[in-house]
Amino acid sequence: MDEEEKRVRLNQARALLAAAEAGDEADFDRQLAALTAGQRQPVFEQVGLMTREVHEALMAFALDERLDRMAEAEMPDARDRLRYVISLTEQAATRTLALAEEAFPVTERLIERSERLQQQLAQVAQREADNRRLVEVIHTISDYLDSVLGSGNTLKSQFTEVMMAQEFQDLSGQLLMRVINLLEQLESKMVSLLHLTSPETVSGDRQKKDGDMPEDLQRGTGPALPKASSDVVKSQDDVDDLLASLGF
Amino acid sequence: MDLNMKILVVDDFSTMRRIIKNLLKDLGFSNIEEADDGTTALPMLKHGHFDFLVTDWNMPGMTGIDLLKAVRADPALSTLPVLMVTAEAKREQIIMAAQAGVNGYIVKPFNGPTLKEKIDKIFERVQS
Repeated sequence: MDEEEKRVRLNQARALLAAAEAGDEADFDRQLAALTAGQRQPVFEQVGLMTREVHEALMAFALDERLDRMAEAEMPDARDRLRYVISLTEQAATRTLALAEEAFPVTERLIERSERLQQQLAQVAQREADNRRLVEVIHTISDYLDSVLGSGNTLKSQFTEVMMAQEFQDLSGQLLMRVINLLEQLESKMVSLLHLTSPETVSGDRQKKDGDMPEDLQRGTGPALPKASSDVVKSQDDVDDLLASLGF
Repeated sequence: MDLNMKILVVDDFSTMRRIIKNLLKDLGFSNIEEADDGTTALPMLKHGHFDFLVTDWNMPGMTGIDLLKAVRADPALSTLPVLMVTAEAKREQIIMAAQAGVNGYIVKPFNGPTLKEKIDKIFERVQS
């Protein structure tokens, strides 16, 4: 502290003391502010520096063309790709379902006709009991028809399984829809930020309205992921237990 | 159980509607109609004399839980048996559905025997 500074300080301190003694509150406040002004200077400088850094970061953000490209092209593109995955799986599932639906009655007819033929042959075998050779042939055919019936029933349950397996399309579709929604929200936030930092580079029509905010339980939260926490039931048995505890 | 009863299947995914419809057919039911969300389902229920509702939860437009609440709030539909078949698996959600008056709750992925078991149970209770 040099002499001049020391003199100023002392004067300020005396003036503060004088104001306190005189009981002049307004003057006391003024003198106190004058005395502490020097100490607040570094804080203002720091805030100024930080403001400048934030400003520069925002400018760099606005000037970063990659961000612009991401918000404008890459995120919508990613959404389109996911939608395409949904439509591909839907097509595959629909085709599989159609084939299983066609195969099912074909198998049923096969079973039905085998049963009828078996009955008819049994009647013939009864009528022609004397004809050993014929009865023998009928037994052979009847054994074969038995195996047709068994295979037919196996096929029927397998076609049902093939149909049930197409359930994946609903679950994967719901999961992908949620990712698409998230991308939409991210994109809209990025566009808003870009718009704020450099209005001239962002055209008005890119400003999209906010998508649905994260849905609450009422809206539904989508299929549970395998790693889901304990507030999610793990199986149909859990559902049944929970409902039973509620008096169902 | 009346195999001729009229059933409405509500799900936004056509794949799932088709699977449920096929399973119901396999169980012997033949009078089945479809809707893709609550908004289309509700007028059908009001005018279609349905005996049973099978609905998903998470659908655009009107959700399954809102459809269930609307059904329970309508004097003409309030006793309609409702089965939820949904991927929504949070305990709170199952409790929410139970409180809203659901008759059965199946979590996807599911299978044919589970569907049969729940339907049998629902109609046992309804008849008794």
